[in-house]
Amino acid sequence: MVILLLLIIPIITAIACVLIGKHSVSKYISIAGSFLALLYNIFLNYNIHVQHSLLGLNGFFYMDALSILTTQIVTIIGFASSLYSAGYMAAELHEGVVTERKLRWYYFLFHMFIFTMLLVCVTNNLGIMWVAIEATTLSTTFLVGFYNKKQHQEAAWKYIIICTVGITLALFGVILTYHSSKGVLGEIGYALNWTDLLTVADRFEPHLIKLAFIFILVGYGTKAGLAPMHTWLPDAHSQAPAPISALFSGVLINCSLYGIIRYHILTSKCVGPHYSSTLLMVFGLISVIVSIPFILVQRDYKRLFAYSSIEHIGFIALGIGFGGMYSVYGAELHTFNHAVTKSLLFFCAGNLFLKYKTTKMESIKGIIKVTPITGIILIIGVFAITGTPPFNIFVSEFMVLADGFASGNAFIIIFSSLLVVCITLIFIGYIYNIFKMIFGVSPEAIPKGEISKFTIAAMCFLLVFVLVISFYVPPLLREILNSIYDIIRNA
Amino acid sequence: MTQHIIVNSQIIDVLAILMLMSTIILIGTSRLKTCIWACVFRSFLLTLTSGLIAYFSGIHHIYITTGVSLVLKVVLVPGFLFYIVDKVNIKKEVESYISYTLSLLISCGIILIAYYSTLSIIQFENTFMRHCLPVSLAITLVGFFAMITRKKAITQILGLVTMEDGLFFAALSTSYGMPLIVELGVFFDILVSVIIMGLYVYRIKESFDTIDTGFLRDLRE
Repeated sequence: MVILLLLIIPIITAIACVLIGKHSVSKYISIAGSFLALLYNIFLNYNIHVQHSLLGLNGFFYMDALSILTTQIVTIIGFASSLYSAGYMAAELHEGVVTERKLRWYYFLFHMFIFTMLLVCVTNNLGIMWVAIEATTLSTTFLVGFYNKKQHQEAAWKYIIICTVGITLALFGVILTYHSSKGVLGEIGYALNWTDLLTVADRFEPHLIKLAFIFILVGYGTKAGLAPMHTWLPDAHSQAPAPISALFSGVLINCSLYGIIRYHILTSKCVGPHYSSTLLMVFGLISVIVSIPFILVQRDYKRLFAYSSIEHIGFIALGIGFGGMYSVYGAELHTFNHAVTKSLLFFCAGNLFLKYKTTKMESIKGIIKVTPITGIILIIGVFAITGTPPFNIFVSEFMVLADGFASGNAFIIIFSSLLVVCITLIFIGYIYNIFKMIFGVSPEAIPKGEISKFTIAAMCFLLVFVLVISFYVPPLLREILNSIYDIIRNA
Repeated sequence: MTQHIIVNSQIIDVLAILMLMSTIILIGTSRLKTCIWACVFRSFLLTLTSGLIAYFSGIHHIYITTGVSLVLKVVLVPGFLFYIVDKVNIKKEVESYISYTLSLLISCGIILIAYYSTLSIIQFENTFMRHCLPVSLAITLVGFFAMITRKKAITQILGLVTMEDGLFFAALSTSYGMPLIVELGVFFDILVSVIIMGLYVYRIKESFDTIDTGFLRDLRE
């Protein structure tokens, strides 16, 4: 019951937004709803801090540290993004790009999207988790194609086809898991429940679980944006409206990775950690390497940020794969850091798009003079996302790499060395591309000033997280990250 | 009892082979409406299999999924696809990136791979799963193959429906279907995804004047 309320809040908000058509009212409802979800999640977070895990509704819901971290990210980015939407969509409405009727459905799908992501994290049943991950695709297809021009339709089509195919492959993994657990647990309805699976995972048929993990990794990995299944990601992330891009890059890929980690734990318990860790590391490294050339020669700033998400999700997969105490801690901290920083950058991208009406980097000059606040935040964000000290991403990347080098395993040390090279190249690509846009003489026709107070509030809200975690990890977050290591390790 | 199951499993084996053959029709034919009819036929066989398994095993919740599957996959989804085909008024038939002969050969290879990759699992099984798991994996992978080689948006949707059918059959043959709530969730997702894809076929036809997805190439580096 306690957990159910977390899911009901976004549904009520979605329905309320659809019923109240006026944007001047519904934007406040949207903000209030996502703020309520954020507060409620902090309350749940405190409960889990005390009780370690929560079960609800006859074992249908289950939350532990791993799920609370992901729901915390969902609600934080969800709140920031609904704040940002209020300003962004008001500007679009003012210019006549969108209509109020369309915005109704925008807010409805926005909150349904948040609902599906929360459901991924709080369900105890791995089958329902599959249904929810597929539902995240379905609820966002129209958001990717929101502006409904040719390129948006193309992105939406690629998005739904590639993701649905990927997730369909994952269903085969779920079926194999169910089959093997049924062999141990017998004819019962809860043979897909995480809590029950975990107790008997060591008695599963190893061949089945290995095959299942491959299908899960390819399937959910498609949604997480792991290379080589990432091809939908740059299109969808760049064509969606900026607040939605922020949610995509910040949380959607984390939700899919959450699914992969659950199966990683099961597989490790059944056949030992070596098998699934190696697969995670290989896919992670491929993702980081694949993103480099696209970041170096990129001409479109939204696609630049999208490719950078592929790099970071690869990095997180590598950190989980390394499996040491600091690398798992660092990787999970990295999911949080990446979510807040990348969403911040997509908000900057949204402001630039509203000002300059283009996503081509060569047409943009003199940001710092046109919108000083966006310019300064963009500079901080770019330094943070590339892992420059002292910012937050540096902290988490350093932990993972240091643990990799200290592991003593030749394989992991080679991976870590390659990573250092990759991160340096990506740093160069970013600085080269972004700094050309920040300085220089802006075109005369661009009106000076910020978009609205909502967009500034959203960016400052996320900036607080970026800056605080650069110097200090709050104790509540630290506790969660430590428990996640226990969950992954004690499998 | 044992003999009973052996007899039944022969009926189910025959149905499984028929399903695989109707999936191959999807690969081998060039007429779009024939493809849809082949899918309807396969989904109908699947529903029949599901009903038989429910009857033989005496597990009641399979009857519910059978009923939902009948309404959804044999009536609603194909009906919607026929409606879309008429609405966007497709003149050219199915086109493929590779020739039909080669596609058929590759499908044969896929079936071999499906048997080979499940070999380590099925050799310990003595139920009807022994034949059905490789067949269901083959149907899934052939559907996947149809999706990536066909140019028309509608055929890609058909490939997806085929994949889902294969997986439904896999769940049925390995473990008498998934838990009811999961099964219903999966059906709901399929229905919604086919509707959304159908709407996008219509929109793409409006803006690009074709549903050949080879023309979707504005977004690239």
